[in-house]
Amino acid sequence: MKKFFARNAPGYVFLTPWFIGFFFLALGPILASLYLSFTRYDMVADPRWVGLDNYAYMFEKDRRFWKALEVTFTYVALAVPARLIMALGVAMLLDKGLRTIGLYRAIFYLPSLLGSSIAIAILWRQLFSADGVVNQVLANFGIQGAAWISNPDTSLYTLVVLAMWQFGSPMLIFLAGLRGIPRDLYEAAEIDGTSKRRQFFRITLPLLAPVIFFNLVLQTIEAFKTFSSAFIISNGTGAPADSLLFYTVYLFNEAFKFFRMGYASALAWVLLLIIGFFTAVSFFTSKYWVHYENERD
Amino acid sequence: MTKMTRRQALGTIGAAAAAATLPAMPALAADRSIRHFWWGNPERDRRTFDVIDVFQKAHSGIEVSGETIGWGDYWTKMATQTAGKNMADLVQMDYRFLFEYVRRGALLPLDEHIGNGLDLSNFDKGPLSGGMVDGKLYALNIGSNSQVVPYNARLFDEAGIDADVINWTHEEFAAVCEQITSKTGVKGSDDNSLMIESMEAWARQNGRDFYDADGNVSATAEDVAGYWQYWADLRDAGVVTDKNMTVILDKPMSESGIVTGASAMSLYWSNQLVAVQSLMSDPIGAAMVAHKTGGGYGQFIKPSMFMSLTRDAKDVEAAIMYMNDWINAPDATSIIGLERGIPANPDVRAALAPSFTPAEKLSVDYFNAIQDKVGPLPLPAPKGAGEVRDNFMRTGTEVVLGNMDVKEAAALFIDDAQSIVDRAR
Repeated sequence: MKKFFARNAPGYVFLTPWFIGFFFLALGPILASLYLSFTRYDMVADPRWVGLDNYAYMFEKDRRFWKALEVTFTYVALAVPARLIMALGVAMLLDKGLRTIGLYRAIFYLPSLLGSSIAIAILWRQLFSADGVVNQVLANFGIQGAAWISNPDTSLYTLVVLAMWQFGSPMLIFLAGLRGIPRDLYEAAEIDGTSKRRQFFRITLPLLAPVIFFNLVLQTIEAFKTFSSAFIISNGTGAPADSLLFYTVYLFNEAFKFFRMGYASALAWVLLLIIGFFTAVSFFTSKYWVHYENERD
Repeated sequence: MTKMTRRQALGTIGAAAAAATLPAMPALAADRSIRHFWWGNPERDRRTFDVIDVFQKAHSGIEVSGETIGWGDYWTKMATQTAGKNMADLVQMDYRFLFEYVRRGALLPLDEHIGNGLDLSNFDKGPLSGGMVDGKLYALNIGSNSQVVPYNARLFDEAGIDADVINWTHEEFAAVCEQITSKTGVKGSDDNSLMIESMEAWARQNGRDFYDADGNVSATAEDVAGYWQYWADLRDAGVVTDKNMTVILDKPMSESGIVTGASAMSLYWSNQLVAVQSLMSDPIGAAMVAHKTGGGYGQFIKPSMFMSLTRDAKDVEAAIMYMNDWINAPDATSIIGLERGIPANPDVRAALAPSFTPAEKLSVDYFNAIQDKVGPLPLPAPKGAGEVRDNFMRTGTEVVLGNMDVKEAAALFIDDAQSIVDRAR
């Protein structure tokens, strides 16, 4: 034990700001929300203990809770792979050793910095509205575009496209990972006459697995927490017809629009369990598909 | 740039930080201070801060700090402050939230101050009674309004419409929509399928308030189905705006049909006529929500905003002084104008009249014209009404998109609405 701390001391020192923030700022509210999830609390009157009622209502009666889960899961299933593929593709292009690589990295990272902002969500709404830019461009090719955002069948996909476009941070991590792959492996493969395609599947992907795993976990958590874009594009309502009712949008509305703080806290804890579950699944299955270079077995 | 010493730099940062927090803190010079919290827009905020300046000049020694935020976040912040026992001394209150806040003990009654700091001798009785809960006055009316159908007067002229827009019926409204669309190419009206206030007016015309005295849903599925069918027919005839515009909920005013030019009529509250006009170059007119032949009155005159005294008020006397100036002092009322609705003090109205802009004149004329065509103020909606509104828009969206049969959707909505108010109890 002593040895463990001695070895890791610098790490803990660097973590102190986070620990201070966690113990003094975050822990209290987290525990309070756990307590509130067993109460009925409208922020004006005092909280009233209701036991497991909130959770029971959620699973047994609340149709919108299930709808929110459906929307969120669909989004996660589409947006995470789409974003990762996009990020890996761009990272591989940039890995070709261009001279102005720094500039390109910055340019490609830009959408991710902007992406979480309110301005981009508003821009997205303008782009994809019935008479928006996208449809005007399509009209030039004689295609009659749909009302992307006001049609419940397509509104979610506009957000998946937005997610794809925000590939910056996984891209940077992929880029670092690609740089870490020893060049001699590719040279050896070239000499053996291995095709580029085969090099990708036999060298790049396996050696990149730890990085892919890292990105997958991070992006999945991120995707479950998507809020601002859906909130802005649907004016905070999840409309049309609840097709943009992301879990977090529903949670926000329950808490701050209908003042059901207790119920919203319960929703928050269920979301935490869901994210925890998927992270755990990724970790436990990772040994079958993630191989670390310095592993000895 | 010259180099600063460490001490200078810290001093500058400190001063900047102090300056940044200053507006929220009462100045130390004043011995008395009050906080006023309202939901607003840039125009309203400007006027209110001007009133605060005037008040502070007239009552030296009292510092007023104004806090403002948009409607959407106002109730969130208000609930948070209430929970933290840190409410502003004076808050802007809305009719639908009044009972909730009174019942939870968040507001103080004003009765003991009437005639004793608060002069209500020259105040219309109707608007006054809207702020009473359980026989006590908890909220002072600072403006009244009613629903209005603003219309583009240029398009009405072009299409040669000469309808009586105060007394018109649903059939006449439909005919006007048809005429405008065929003559001008612009749609007659926005599609109001998702506007619950308009549906409630429809139900009242059928003889029922949406909620009864016990807070249960008393409108029927037939009322709702009739309403949705009326708009579905107009939609099918192509004389109202496209469904893609309709299903975008809670659009800002700048995206409404009348402002963008997509239609000739929208639906608003009468104190918003000035704001609608300010976004348009064509002149506007003001029409009532159409009537049902032989039916009851759909519209009513409603307090658009109140001012209330909270239980966290520290200097009640100063707060009452501010409240009194707000409704009686000419230099304050002339700044407030009609922006929050029609003032309930006849002297104030008379003093404002000579300097009206055309849009302000329009809203006063409209207000006078509808006085005997409106029903009584319904009881405030029960808890959960906000959620019922959301549900109405959601279910209505399915109808507008053609995913649901009108009758089936209406029955589902009425069921849902009742379970929402049940759950909120």
